[in-house]
Amino acid sequence: MHEATSREIDELLHAVDRDGAILETRTLAEAPVSRARLLGLALAGTGTALLAHVGPANAAPPLAASDIAILNYALVLEYLQSSFYTEAERSGALTGKTAEAARVVGAVERAHVTAFLKLLGSNAVKRPLFDFQGTTEQQKPFLKTAVAFEDLAVAAYKGQAPKLKSKPVLAAAVGIHSVEARHAAWMRELFGITPAVNAFDQPASREKIERVVASTHFIVARPRTTRKRKPKYTG
Amino acid sequence: MDLADAAVKASESRGNASSSRRGALGIAALGGLVALPAVGRLFRLADALAAPSKSQDVRILQLVLQVEYTQVAFYEEALQNASLKGELRTFARTALAHERAHLAAVTSALGASAGARPRFDFGASVRSPQAFTRTAISLEDLAIAGYNGQATNLTPGTLATAATIVSVEARHAAWVRTIAGEDPAPEAVDQPITAAQAAAGLRKIGLRH
Repeated sequence: MHEATSREIDELLHAVDRDGAILETRTLAEAPVSRARLLGLALAGTGTALLAHVGPANAAPPLAASDIAILNYALVLEYLQSSFYTEAERSGALTGKTAEAARVVGAVERAHVTAFLKLLGSNAVKRPLFDFQGTTEQQKPFLKTAVAFEDLAVAAYKGQAPKLKSKPVLAAAVGIHSVEARHAAWMRELFGITPAVNAFDQPASREKIERVVASTHFIVARPRTTRKRKPKYTG
Repeated sequence: MDLADAAVKASESRGNASSSRRGALGIAALGGLVALPAVGRLFRLADALAAPSKSQDVRILQLVLQVEYTQVAFYEEALQNASLKGELRTFARTALAHERAHLAAVTSALGASAGARPRFDFGASVRSPQAFTRTAISLEDLAIAGYNGQATNLTPGTLATAATIVSVEARHAAWVRTIAGEDPAPEAVDQPITAAQAAAGLRKIGLRH
């Protein structure tokens, strides 16, 4: 496993405006998600108040196919983050405040994954296989990559939130969006760069985000839906 | 001028060249229908609002305006009177510049229906670094929760622009929390508050009319 070069990580940081191969993570599923699954967010301990806030639970309609697609896209980003922090924590390479931040943020990203898995049920894409190219094994590359991931996540959620049709899902997504922004600021502070650069954070399209993620080669195997398809012809 | 245009204009005037126009709203034409904002009115901004509409966006922007006015005034007064030094001063100066840009965007979007700057009494919170830090954390957390609480009430275009602001508030919150030695991100999902809770929180911090 080679250590990510500074240039590679710089590319990751700035690649939001670059062209590149598109990561194929689109696995749409049409099956509606039940209210029970929607309330999985609450069971995951992350959305109780959110769901209570946005309206009576019995008003929650099945998720639209477009919402499922967005949630799966978000799930892949959450898989990426949670695996990254978990691996960094296990590597034992991090020290001091950075080790503490990785532990706390990792737990939150894992909670996001759990919440999305419960929400999506059998429509959820599987966790891909990752190779973080050595960035989880040294403090400085770790922090630089963490900054890039968190800023990417902020831009990604911001790009998708206005497209969400389900109000409970939107309410949860904006609550996650601002947490990712807190993480971004935290990692930036630890890395020694300003936590808040501009007055307005810009969104990024799914295509841009996927190009950036693809450019890192962190995903080494593509996720598939966990849904078992019924055989078209039986008997 | 709509919020998206206003946000672009405000950021361009501060050299944020990466901004681009997104999600046109055209709410300026509706702005005149709305009375001048007052905290009392904000308290009556129902939490179970109607489906998103441009006129509702305007009412919500009145709340947002109060949040941004409060932040600008708070950082201005603290920079003058709270003896802020080092990173805390850098934070306050940076946050003030951002909040001024947000205020300019929201004011432009509201046009004639944007109310004048209210009066404030921040008391001791703008007179010492310690009190400033505590109140800055409360105010930034309140702004995040207030914006998040309105997300499902906004039209997608206004939501898109509001989202470019709320994550900056979240960065401020995390930043000042790290300076204070507090957990920058204490929740897995930031919890929203209602318009009434936001208005009450602003009053508690020092918004007067």
